[in-house]
Amino acid sequence: MQPAKILPKSAFPGWIDFLKRSYTVVGPKAMHGQTVFGEIETADDLTLEYNQSVIPPKKYLVPQREVLIEYKLDGTEVEAKFNEEATVVFGVHTCDLHAIKLLDLIFSKGFTDQHYAAHRDNTIIIGYECLTTCGPESFCRSMGTASAPESAYDLHIIDMGSDYFIQIGTERGEALFTGYDGVFTATEPDYARMNGTLSDKWQRFPYRLDVDVTEIPDLLAESYHSDHWQELADICLACGMCTQVCPTCYCFDIRDEVDVTLSVGKRVRSWDSCQIDSFALVAGGHNFRETRAARQRHRFMRKGKYQFDATGMVGCVGCGRCATACLVDITPIKTFNELYRRQQQQPEEVEA
Amino acid sequence: MKPKIAFFDFTSCEGCQLTVVDSLQTNVGLLDMVEIVQFREAMTEKGTDYQIAFVEGSCTRESDEDRLRAIREQADVVVALGACAHLGGINAIRNIYSIDEVRDEVYGDKGEWYETYQPRPIDAVIAVDAVIPGCPIDRDEFIAVVTQVLQGREPRIPDHPVCIECKLNETVCMYLRGEICLGPISRAGCGAICPKYGFGCVGCRGMISNPNLESMEEVLEQYGRTLEEARAKMSMFLTYQTLEEGES
Ligand code: SF4
Ligand code: SF4
Ligand code: SF4
Ligand code: SF4
Ligand code: SF4
Repeated sequence: MQPAKILPKSAFPGWIDFLKRSYTVVGPKAMHGQTVFGEIETADDLTLEYNQSVIPPKKYLVPQREVLIEYKLDGTEVEAKFNEEATVVFGVHTCDLHAIKLLDLIFSKGFTDQHYAAHRDNTIIIGYECLTTCGPESFCRSMGTASAPESAYDLHIIDMGSDYFIQIGTERGEALFTGYDGVFTATEPDYARMNGTLSDKWQRFPYRLDVDVTEIPDLLAESYHSDHWQELADICLACGMCTQVCPTCYCFDIRDEVDVTLSVGKRVRSWDSCQIDSFALVAGGHNFRETRAARQRHRFMRKGKYQFDATGMVGCVGCGRCATACLVDITPIKTFNELYRRQQQQPEEVEA
Repeated sequence: MKPKIAFFDFTSCEGCQLTVVDSLQTNVGLLDMVEIVQFREAMTEKGTDYQIAFVEGSCTRESDEDRLRAIREQADVVVALGACAHLGGINAIRNIYSIDEVRDEVYGDKGEWYETYQPRPIDAVIAVDAVIPGCPIDRDEFIAVVTQVLQGREPRIPDHPVCIECKLNETVCMYLRGEICLGPISRAGCGAICPKYGFGCVGCRGMISNPNLESMEEVLEQYGRTLEEARAKMSMFLTYQTLEEGES
């Protein structure tokens, strides 16, 4: 691990200008009282003290709509398309870094997803340490995601008042300072200040789950037949907003879009949602998850158990976005706590 | 041989046909693929040997029914074009009054001279194979549907709420702005354009097939809005459906 850097805040705008010369730079921006990730021109466009962005920065790794291949219908040409735009994603919260780590695992399992890999290769991630919790729906402390994970970032920034402490995650991260002279190598006292900043932050991060994160996969397994799924289904609008905003949701649909002359076509991947009626619709008109209850269960099983089984990481990073988006107040905090309460009430009825 | 297509208009503002004309300007290739034999909005010829019929407008009088049946008889594929044909739409707002009141209001003492009845979507009269929803239709969706029909595929129109697209736009929800929006029960596909520009959705693309209406009522209540206000919004495009519901 390379020694960390110290960037005085006064030098920060100059560094952004420096990065802009070689990269598209995106980061959190204020928009109508919300925060959205978008392209920035100068450091002034950034809002680093932000609560969760509406859509997570995953949109730069798994775009909402992406052309995978282009082809001629007569079969004479097929060309795979890959992202080639060098982008720096600035100011990624710690929970979102954990989510990117999970996406890395998912998209490299079995056959590596080359389109994802191309985005990942061209996208430099600069994390930003959260020093206070995002809001009442965030439960990163409970999920163990309030500190930056060891991989997933290229650089990671910790605000220390007058300057930034910048941890180096990768060589290409460190290279972002090559040729820029406003930055210093961190010294012992800087490390001490950084450790102080990090240990102070915990008082601002309440635990919000009654259940320990390590028990969540078992809790979900035991809740498979719970009545709670139907209770959620009664109020769920099947609107899919909870999944669209989730940093660990990656389900997609693939469709062929053929031009009107039926000569050329594109194969397009776009975000799907397990909450909408047609998600599990297959050939012949069969739908293997027709009810909202089955779909709510599926969603929480994926977050709490299935992704853990597949990757060793729990599929929810506690960002709280889904709860903020949901118009009927279906939230993971309430759901996990309610399942736990029921499990504790009937400890012997755990046979699944 | 190129398939022959024809456009027909019933009671409508012709905005959807204009959108078709508009979409042809950027997709001239379509004209290589089909032969347009009838399109009053754009040409004078009236060929009657078409295979694909696009029908704009709602059915508002008995004589419309005969015309619709003739179209159905001739065409292999009938596509409803826009909210008037798909839903009854704006024309059906008057259905909350009796037909005599409407005649009186519009034509005064000449009411008897005019043929009219309660407006209805065309699928109340004939079988419809595909729908291009919206008021007006979306030009890209029109081209996409035509392409799928030419491929012999069943066109895919979204059947999930507008909210999903609204969230992708990262728009501030209208409910958080103190406004009503029918997005949670309305069919997506428009890119949630109304909330994007600060208007609550009025459901011009119709309701999704499986809306959670009880929960929608709770959302209204939770955000301090009333069912009456929501009904007023729904009356714009969904009066025909709302009245049908009430009767069944
Ligand atoms: S399930 Fe909700 S809280 Fe968990 S990661 Fe997804 S959006 Fe965040
Ligand atoms: S956001 Fe809420 S209402 Fe919409 S699908 Fe998710 S849980 Fe259901
Ligand atoms: S659906 Fe709208 S735009 Fe189309 S004809 Fe009817 S009123 Fe006009
Ligand atoms: S503004 Fe309307 S469409 Fe958008 S999220 Fe809110 S309710 Fe849904
Ligand atoms: S937001 Fe609603 S009213 Fe507006 S175009 Fe879309 S479906 Fe129609």
